[in-house]
Amino acid sequence: MKKVSLFIPCFVDQILPEVGMDVVRVLRRIGCQVDFPEEQTCCGQPAFNSGYWDDARPLAERFLRIFREAEAVVCPSGSCTTMLRVFYPELLAGTNLNGEARSLGSRVFEFSEFLVNIAGVDDLGAYFPHRVAFHDACHGLRELHINVEPRQLLRHVRGLELVEMSRSEECCGFGGTFATKFGMISAAMGETKAGNAEACGAEYLASNDPSCLMHIDGILRRRNSPVRTVHLASILARTGAANEGPETMSRVRSAK
Amino acid sequence: MTTAAQEFLRAAAHESTDLTRRKAIRHAIDQYDAAVQRGRKQFVDYEAARQKCYEIKWEALNHLDKYLLEFEEKVKARGGQVFWAETAEDARRYIADLAMRRGVRTVVKSKSMVTEEIHLTPALEKLGLRVFETDLGEFIVQLRNEPPFHIVTPAMHLTRGDIAKLFREKLPNAMSSGASSEDPPELVAVARRALRRAFFSAEMGITGANFLVADAGMIAITTNEGNDRLGTALPRLHVAVVGIEKVIPRLEDLAILWPVLATAGTGQTITCYDSLIGGPRRDGEVDGPEEFHVVLLDNGRTDLLADAEQRDVLHCIRCGSCLNACPVFRAVGGHTYGTTYSGPIGSVLTPHLRGLNEFQHLSYASSLCGACTSVCPVKIDLHHHLLHNRRNAVREGDRPWHERAAFKLWRWTMNSAGRFALAGAAGRAALRGLYRLGLEATAVDPLRPWTKYRTAPPIPRKSFRAMWRENGTR
Amino acid sequence: MERAEALGRERVLARIRSALKAPAPHHQCASPSGPVFVPLANAVERFQRECAANSTELILVPDTRGAADALGMVLASVTPGEIYLQDAPPLRRMLGGLKTDRAVRWSNDGPPSESSQAAITAVECLVAATGSIFIASSAAGRGASVVAPVHIVVASEAQLEPDLAAALRRVKDRELTTHNSALFLITGSSRTADIEKILVLGAHGPRRVVVILARNLD
Repeated sequence: MKKVSLFIPCFVDQILPEVGMDVVRVLRRIGCQVDFPEEQTCCGQPAFNSGYWDDARPLAERFLRIFREAEAVVCPSGSCTTMLRVFYPELLAGTNLNGEARSLGSRVFEFSEFLVNIAGVDDLGAYFPHRVAFHDACHGLRELHINVEPRQLLRHVRGLELVEMSRSEECCGFGGTFATKFGMISAAMGETKAGNAEACGAEYLASNDPSCLMHIDGILRRRNSPVRTVHLASILARTGAANEGPETMSRVRSAK
Repeated sequence: MTTAAQEFLRAAAHESTDLTRRKAIRHAIDQYDAAVQRGRKQFVDYEAARQKCYEIKWEALNHLDKYLLEFEEKVKARGGQVFWAETAEDARRYIADLAMRRGVRTVVKSKSMVTEEIHLTPALEKLGLRVFETDLGEFIVQLRNEPPFHIVTPAMHLTRGDIAKLFREKLPNAMSSGASSEDPPELVAVARRALRRAFFSAEMGITGANFLVADAGMIAITTNEGNDRLGTALPRLHVAVVGIEKVIPRLEDLAILWPVLATAGTGQTITCYDSLIGGPRRDGEVDGPEEFHVVLLDNGRTDLLADAEQRDVLHCIRCGSCLNACPVFRAVGGHTYGTTYSGPIGSVLTPHLRGLNEFQHLSYASSLCGACTSVCPVKIDLHHHLLHNRRNAVREGDRPWHERAAFKLWRWTMNSAGRFALAGAAGRAALRGLYRLGLEATAVDPLRPWTKYRTAPPIPRKSFRAMWRENGTR
Repeated sequence: MERAEALGRERVLARIRSALKAPAPHHQCASPSGPVFVPLANAVERFQRECAANSTELILVPDTRGAADALGMVLASVTPGEIYLQDAPPLRRMLGGLKTDRAVRWSNDGPPSESSQAAITAVECLVAATGSIFIASSAAGRGASVVAPVHIVVASEAQLEPDLAAALRRVKDRELTTHNSALFLITGSSRTADIEKILVLGAHGPRRVVVILARNLD
């Protein structure tokens, strides 16, 4: 029985909690023992990306403490996983925590890479009868080299028709504080992504990074698009049982 | 915020809404991407090719003095002259003095980003010289009195209609009276006719160089049009302005650099004209300039060289592929940056050449997607250097006080799960209240920087940790 | 003036040396030791394919006689007007056999005139992998291969190098950088894609590049 500690990014905890719950559902379905270290807050990425490395460092040290004993840490965000695996060693270079940072980096996994590469599972028994396009979130793609795993998982979902949109690897424009500091550029990039999703006839745009989805969804709603966004975990969590409904942001909104 | 930063934001806002312009850019880049796929087919292993090019440039930059001296010695042995320009002003003055002393009235110029960097043309024009850009893209933007839009394809933002209109206005004599004068071949013929006289009458040809080949003591220039060939064959003076970082150790390094430059730059197997020039006309040669001058330019490069973490930025071979890969560039175009070098390389390089304080905003104007780094043929760690520039800006105390304060508050909040959960709950409650009153995206919306451009996500009543505590241990 | 220049040079060199005291990271990669470029099976075939791709007109002939005939045929298709030739014995002989009432200018009389319609030169070597020609400035100067709208080259298979690496090795072995002020690699017609990324042949250099490749030239 694999023991998994959840790393739920701060904004998922606060804004997209159902994504976290869907991750739990899927991990339990494959027999993992899941725990959530409640001391966790934020990995420090916002400060790090803005150049405030001295403010990010204490949070990194805190994270290392919290996950020191964890066997496997799973996170539903490529960018947050990247922060731990790729940037913690750089942030903590020259400190006595450098070794620990590398150790944690080898034990932390983005959700799709954990399922396929560590748990060795690609069929989650999921059912999602829709046409779905996949957006390759940048950090997961270019820093963690993830692009095969999500598609492998989606191909095993019953009823799901996987389509490829043009330029699925082009950045959606979120980029953290970039989204608000350079909002007009971020929006222009998001519009391009939204247009590509619409053009390929997808009903849903999926990704393994909830921050991208939050941004793209905001763009799609603003332009009254028929395309909905959904996190990979939320697709895999659906098995077609009664009372299930994908907790996409748009559905929740229309239920309000 | 500095003026350059304000101007960038203004230009970005303007350009990102110019859908016609963005469509033209996207079209050009789609063509480029298709061509690159074809060009890469000449390589069994393009990643191995990139690594080899990285190794060549690493060796060159990390032994820069040795290779520059070898280059200089060999050029001088052929009767060429080498001038080491510490600043842009030194370079301009040397070239202007030379032109004046030798009675130069007309100059033909090949495409050279470094001559843009030192603003050479206005300096020469102020002395009464006529300076003709001979690369078609540069010729076009020169007629429009604007800077190049892209370091490899200067006129990529223009349609044939734009160019035809420009030529009708500015080159009435060279236009034939024919009908389909929007036809690209016809427009190219117009430029050829217009510039041919300049080539044959100019006293000085100015070029840049793609490489300084140390063991051959020759500069290497790459073009498709052949304008550099005419400019270095016909006029009696040839001046090459070259950044000191352009050095490569050996002639045989070109066997991989020329094809990689061509593939990354335009998707070609190899560019049409790859020339090696090491001196003025030799005794017995049929033609060629009487004098050959190489102006080696520092202008801040040695400062970047001293930054060991970012020294690899000097590997750049100015291929332009990072610009083409960059989604920010695609959204706002080259003019928005307001700097000689735009796109990712410009954002990384400009703070080093012109000051971090004034140009740090370019390093922040990126989503750090990493596409640039993934395509760079000499493996510059571009997007990570943007992060490094940001870190350096904070270290130098260059960031606004309210941002520093905000991150201090953020750090204090995030250092405790209790404070984080409380802040989150309070924030969500406030937003839910405000949004229920229909105040999303209004002036009182705290998320207005977000909601100005996109709807806010639905704000949940419960956080994940609350849900987990309630029933997560199921 | 010269002293100031010397000081500037010293300062730049001093800054470089000081800068290099700090070592830069060096990212090694397990580089595969195999070929970087797609290997060549047959040089002539590859040269043919590449010429077709870059718009170089390639005419294969058996010998000098065949080359002269091909030259005559090509010249017949060139606009009336002066032609410019590299003053080399094989080209003198070849032209001697041709009947032409064109004005002919030889390279020992100087560079090509602005109104030349074609230039005919020899080459240092050809490059199969890229479909290129390699010319030295000591041959017929710099303008010969760019001024006229048609450039015709006569070469033999013995001059066909497999790839750029071999061509550059040949340059080094024959010390061509010592004997020439300039060396030129030319691949196909002069071209530009500066207008809407549409390829147009014939920018400032020749619109037509013709290679007459003889199995043997004596």
